[in-house]
Amino acid sequence: MARKAKGERPVFFHDPQVDKLLAITMALAGEVSVLHERLDTLERLAEAKGLISRQEIESYRPDEQVREERERWRTEYIARVLRVVREELEAVERGEVPESYETVVRAVSS
Amino acid sequence: MSTQLQHDMLPHATHDELARQNFVQSLKVYLASKVSPGNKVVYEQRAKPRFEQEYKRAPQTRHEVRRVMTDEPYYQTWSALQRTSQEMMWDAVAASVERQLPELIARAKRNGNTVGSLTLNPDLKIPAYHTAVDIHCMPGGYHSEDVTDDVAAGAVYDRAVYIYAVSRLGALNDDLGQSLVRYLKETHPAWQPRKILDMGCSVGHSTLPFVDAYPEAEVYAIDVGAPMLRYAHARAEALGKCVHFSQQNAEHTNFADGSFDLIVSHILLHETSSAAVRNIMRECYRLLTPGGMMVHLEAPQYHGMEPYAAFMFDWDTYNNNEPFWGTMRELDLVALAATAGFAKEKTFQTFVPSAWQATRLGTSRFQCGDFGGGGRWFMFAAGK
Repeated sequence: MARKAKGERPVFFHDPQVDKLLAITMALAGEVSVLHERLDTLERLAEAKGLISRQEIESYRPDEQVREERERWRTEYIARVLRVVREELEAVERGEVPESYETVVRAVSS
Repeated sequence: MSTQLQHDMLPHATHDELARQNFVQSLKVYLASKVSPGNKVVYEQRAKPRFEQEYKRAPQTRHEVRRVMTDEPYYQTWSALQRTSQEMMWDAVAASVERQLPELIARAKRNGNTVGSLTLNPDLKIPAYHTAVDIHCMPGGYHSEDVTDDVAAGAVYDRAVYIYAVSRLGALNDDLGQSLVRYLKETHPAWQPRKILDMGCSVGHSTLPFVDAYPEAEVYAIDVGAPMLRYAHARAEALGKCVHFSQQNAEHTNFADGSFDLIVSHILLHETSSAAVRNIMRECYRLLTPGGMMVHLEAPQYHGMEPYAAFMFDWDTYNNNEPFWGTMRELDLVALAATAGFAKEKTFQTFVPSAWQATRLGTSRFQCGDFGGGGRWFMFAAGK
């Protein structure tokens, strides 16, 4: 499935790198929110069932398999955070230039 | 916040996928309600005085407003956040759909042809206004297919529209259809159209209210996107609604002259082109029976709108892959309909209250271009 919309990405700041940084930051903010929601679910369920204590969480040590699973998860996570960088490369690969979008506006309006 | 109806075709979200979508929705609400209004302050206090000092008059067009707002750091930040929220929305939904795509395709097949039908045309040429850029930044647009019997575009659209609209289109995303039905029932209580066509139906979310409102009528729906139609058909079947879907361009269909009493479209026109709108009007005229009516729901036209308001509405034209949005808002629809054959005295434009919001108070919210600012839809209609 295509994950980048066809069309030149607009630049809002005087330095396009700032646009990119903002997108990265918001992706991170989103993932913090996702994490918070999951933790919140977990803690509420665990609390309701009397399953865990804070001490158990602090003393937990992952085994080899858990470490590998976490590594895979982090790779996908980083790809999500760096989505805008990947899209920039796709735009380069497709040869999209700033003029190309304006050409479309003119073409559909005439 | 209310939730979307989990019909058989709607993709399921894992805990994290849902949390990711929740975040995007919250971000969009926050941007619309807390950040976007600040642009007006920046305009009134900084950009407009700057323009007035230079030109000895106030900005008169949306283009002049844009020229001075583009350099405002606050506007830049809001714009960048708005664009990013749109990209995050599609990404959050696409990831979820991609994970379960084989299951969605299987479910679409399982829903079969119990009540309605689906006719695809692999030879249909996808119009340039859909292939040039992916409209409203939805990756792949309405038409792209990656696998056999692909339904991904439909699944992504159905879920993302709900997030985009912040549930204001109702549990089935059907507010456009519901609002139009409500209006037609109030203004034409005795009218029972026998054949109805929905042009540019996408996932059929606006089509289904017509099936319920006119149980004796045959309901047809067309779109250019095959993955949309496969999903729309399966969705309608899952909900037990009889609709005949076919893959056709609204500019030139294969229906016979005088086939329909009622032709409708829901936020279709702005996703086409000037040439296409002319063709669609002509096609509507050809397809209508004498006494029939075409009704198009859209966002409001710019005529009579304050330059600043029009500028904000116009944000999508330049920043959300809606290249025809701005030009569409300035078209003389009455003149276009007249050219297509409709008598001028039988054309009319009005605002139709949103059926969903009519049942709730104080829910209207303006995002930017949005679907019209919430609370009401712009309607253009003509009788034959």
